[in-house]
Amino acid sequence: MRLSSALGTLLLGVTFWHIATATATDSPTVLITGASRGIGLEFTRQYADRGWNIIATARTPQDDELLQALAAQYDNVSIEQLDVTDHAEIDAVAKKLADQPIDILLNNAGISGEMENQIFGKINYDVFDDVMMINVVGPLKMSEAFIDHVAASDMKKIINVTSGEGSIGRVQFPALYFYRSSKSALNMVMVNLARTVKDRGVTVGIIGPGLVRTDFTSYLQKLNMNLPFQTPEESVNKYIAVIDDYGLEDSGSYLRNTGDTYPW
Amino acid sequence: MRITALTFALGVLLTCASSNALVTDVPTVLITGASRGIGLEFARQYAERGWNVIATARTPADDKLLQDLISEHDNVTVEELDVTNHAEIDTLAKKLQDQPIDILISNAGISGGYENQIFGKLNYKSFDDVFAVNVKGPLKIAEAFINHVAASEQKKLVNISSTEGRFSQLRGGGGYFYRGSKSALNMAMRNVALAVKSKGVIVGILTPGFVDTDFTARFDSQLKITVEESVSKQIAVIDTMTPDMSGVYVSHEGIRMSW
Repeated sequence: MRLSSALGTLLLGVTFWHIATATATDSPTVLITGASRGIGLEFTRQYADRGWNIIATARTPQDDELLQALAAQYDNVSIEQLDVTDHAEIDAVAKKLADQPIDILLNNAGISGEMENQIFGKINYDVFDDVMMINVVGPLKMSEAFIDHVAASDMKKIINVTSGEGSIGRVQFPALYFYRSSKSALNMVMVNLARTVKDRGVTVGIIGPGLVRTDFTSYLQKLNMNLPFQTPEESVNKYIAVIDDYGLEDSGSYLRNTGDTYPW
Repeated sequence: MRITALTFALGVLLTCASSNALVTDVPTVLITGASRGIGLEFARQYAERGWNVIATARTPADDKLLQDLISEHDNVTVEELDVTNHAEIDTLAKKLQDQPIDILISNAGISGGYENQIFGKLNYKSFDDVFAVNVKGPLKIAEAFINHVAASEQKKLVNISSTEGRFSQLRGGGGYFYRGSKSALNMAMRNVALAVKSKGVIVGILTPGFVDTDFTARFDSQLKITVEESVSKQIAVIDTMTPDMSGVYVSHEGIRMSW
């Protein structure tokens, strides 16, 4: 009787201990590129609030005060230096994290190439390669380098922060030739990727954040057109809810952070 | 009476003058990538129509089929042009500055090699080449020659795209760079269409079909059409292109497609 009671207590204790630790170490992991500011920083903050493990990457994290402050505030945020145009660096981080399952790879890093470089008749082709390298090649290389980490996780999602600007069907006025083309190209390569990795159970999301008041849209804010800007908090809050609901059957579909489908 | 006769004679003269003008004012078409495949066939078919054909290629001196075409047709001229060389594009645009171009066909394109575009072993060097030729090239050509096209009668800037750039009808997962480049081209040209609307220029986004050329040699398929059929149908579509077709994705059969 005493033996069995002791054994019971021991078993209960072991089980409790096991569950408690398992919950702590097995919280989902998200890797976010471009986490130093804007939407990327806000994704980091909101996933950190959820208690997830965050691997926040940025080009020069030592200079990013806001990201450093976030990492100081949350034990569950770790920082890695990563420039998505540096493929050797991507491979090195992927190797360093070889045993780390990544539930969500969030390809967020992106640039606009600046509106004034993309006006027909005076297009500055010097920025074309930068826009394509960061917005198209970067996410593709990240996906290649981290596909096994994602496939080894529970959620198995590669989520790409695209833009409504990548919708060919929605173009109303001419602008942002490189940026828009880069997002159309990103959409296309990620539709391809969705098909390529479906049999591994990996979901590929293509989701736009909507119009957000960040440094990225300063050119639009200057126009004083009363555009319906969201705060980063609002945009990311909705975006994360869309990621939560985005399943394998949705893989390769082009959504807004409202959950609505964009036309291609 | 004499005045009437004089008026009549003058009228005949004017008619003659205008018919001479018609002969010298045949439409002009400029074609990029005219050394082989679809581009060469465009040059041939427009030449047979009697149009002025400006056939451009990277190394025309080495292109025997193009050289044969020139020797057969007086109305074909050749210009050396690499669409990735923006200085060369500007130089040619300047050289032809007084030449209205009725139809500019941005045809030059590369696949980038399918073996370079397999997930897990993507060769990103190929990405740069594919995007420089298939996206940046046509955009730079459009900028450099927009005034030549706007100064012409027909005012058509036609881009040879591909159904491989189409989201709603995609087969399998492959050809990452090529497909991405054609979606990017479609987006860029949809924007150009809006940017040049006020100049009356029509921007075509035309797909050639599944054509039996070097480009598709790796596919063994009964579904391929001949290059002659593809190009004659594309020319018929270009002939009937109206301003409402500007920035619209259209097949060689004249069918408007969703993106």
